[in-house]
Amino acid sequence: MPTIAIVGASLTGSSAAATLREEGFDGRVLLIGAEPQPPYDRPPLSKNYLRGGMPFEKTLLRPADFYRERDIELRLGATVVTVDPEKRALGLQDGERIEFDQLLIATGGRNRRFPIPGLDLPGVYDLRTVADADRIRDAIARGGRAVVVGMGFIGAEVAASMRQSGLEVVAVEPFKTPLYRALGEDIGRVVEGLHRDHGVEMILDDAVTAFEGAGKVERVVTRQGRRIECSLAVFGLGIEPVTELVAGTAVRVDNGIVVDDQCRTNVPSIFAAGDVANHFHPVCGRQMRVEHWQNGVKQGAAAARSMLGRGQAYDEVHWFWSDQFDANIQYAGFHAAWDQMVVRGSLAERKFLAFYLAEGRLESVVAINQGRDVRRALPIIKSRVTVDPARLEDPSVDLRTLAPVTA
Amino acid sequence: MPRFVTVAKADSIQPGQMIKVEIDNLPVAVANVGGTFHAFDDTCTHEDCSLAEGELAKTVVTCPAHFAEFDIRNGAVLAPPATVPIKVYPVRIQGNDVQVEF
Repeated sequence: MPTIAIVGASLTGSSAAATLREEGFDGRVLLIGAEPQPPYDRPPLSKNYLRGGMPFEKTLLRPADFYRERDIELRLGATVVTVDPEKRALGLQDGERIEFDQLLIATGGRNRRFPIPGLDLPGVYDLRTVADADRIRDAIARGGRAVVVGMGFIGAEVAASMRQSGLEVVAVEPFKTPLYRALGEDIGRVVEGLHRDHGVEMILDDAVTAFEGAGKVERVVTRQGRRIECSLAVFGLGIEPVTELVAGTAVRVDNGIVVDDQCRTNVPSIFAAGDVANHFHPVCGRQMRVEHWQNGVKQGAAAARSMLGRGQAYDEVHWFWSDQFDANIQYAGFHAAWDQMVVRGSLAERKFLAFYLAEGRLESVVAINQGRDVRRALPIIKSRVTVDPARLEDPSVDLRTLAPVTA
Repeated sequence: MPRFVTVAKADSIQPGQMIKVEIDNLPVAVANVGGTFHAFDDTCTHEDCSLAEGELAKTVVTCPAHFAEFDIRNGAVLAPPATVPIKVYPVRIQGNDVQVEF
C-alpha cells in the first residue's frame, strides 16, 4: 500500500490530507505535526482568541474524529529532522524512521529572531502557536502597558487586540508607516491613522535596540534613544521558512523549498506547499513565497492532486485579509512594480479599494471594508487584460463587467 | 410557532441581489436568484459579518470578510474559513410580498 507522508499538520498539511481522501486515494496517509494539538487555524491567535473571545476548540480546522473517519494517521508532537530522498525515509527527533512513497513538505515557518539584547527576557513574547498566544493572553490579563515591536500584520493585529483588551499600547516600527513593505506608504498612512484613532501610540522611523529589566522586561530602548516603560513586549519581525529537514539533500532550497507550478520539487516524489514553498506562479510569471491563509488551503489541495498525478498549474490569485479594530483589510494579487494607482472610495473614511496597475493591467488591489469588490476584482487580476483606470475608480461601475466572460 | 413574515416587496430585490432584513431582531438575508427567493441567516458563522454585503453568484453567497462560501439553498459550507452551516428559511411569495417562515 503506497504511503504519502505529510510533514506539517497545520492548514496546508491538513488541507492536503483531506484532499487526498476526497480524490479517492486509498493508500496510507500520515500527517505529522510538531505541535501537540490537532490542526488548528492560526488567524484567530492574534485576534479573537488573543482577546479571549473564542475557545480553542473553535479554532480546530476539522472535528477531532474527521481524521479517524478518513483513516488519516495523525502523528502529533513529532518533529521530522531528516529526509532521505534516496531511501524515501523520514527521521524523527526521537530516532523513529518512517518510509514513504511520496512526501509533502508543509512545515511552514518560524518566527524570525534578531540578536537584540534582552530578547530572551521574561515578558518579551512572539506569536506563532496557540501556546504563544496563551502566554500573551496571560500577560494581557495582568494589564499594564505593552510595546509592540514591528508593525507588520502580526504586530498590527496584536497591537489592536491588546488595545481592545484595555492595555496601553506603544508600537515601534522602523519604517515610516505600519505595513509599509506590504502595502506601501499611502495605505500604510491609513493604517497608522486607524491605530492612532484607537489610542495606539505610534513611534515610526525608529527601532528597538534592547529590552531591559531586572528579571523581566521593564522597558525597551530605541535607536533614537527613547526609553519606553512597559510590562510586556511582543515582537513580530516576520517568519523564515522551516527547511532544515532537507538540508544536505538534493532538494533545492532558496527562500523556502523551490517548487514548480504543481508543487513539485526538483526531486521526484517530494513536494512542498504553503508558507514554506517558493513556488512558480503562472499569473505573476515568477517564483514567489507567500504566507497567506488562502494559499495554505488551496496550495495544500493542489499539492495533493499533483501527488496523485492530477496536477494542474496552481494559478490561484493570492489573497489575504487582516482584521484590525473595525477595519477588514484585504490584499489580492501581487505588485512588485506598478506605474499607476487609482482609488475607488475614500482613504480618509477607511472604506476604499486601491488598484495597482502596471502597463494598464491590474496587478493587485488593497482594500478596507470592501470585500465584495475585492472578490469581484480577482478575475480581472487573473485575466491579465488591460483595464480602463477610470472605470476602476468609478464606484458606479460593476467590477464584474471589467473581466472577460469565461465559460 | 413558525409563521410567515412579510419582509420585502418582491420587485424591490433584483435578480442577483441580496438585501438584509430583521425578523425578531435577527438579521436575515433575502436573495433573488433568477426569480427564486432564498432567505438565510445574514451573519456568517465564522465571524460576525453580514453576508448580504458579500457576493452572490447563482446560489452561492461569499462572505465579504474572509470569503467563506455557503449554498443558500441548504446552508451548506462550500469554502472555509467557516465550518458551521448557516440556517436557511422557507420563503413564499404572496402577491408582491416576499414572506419568510420564521
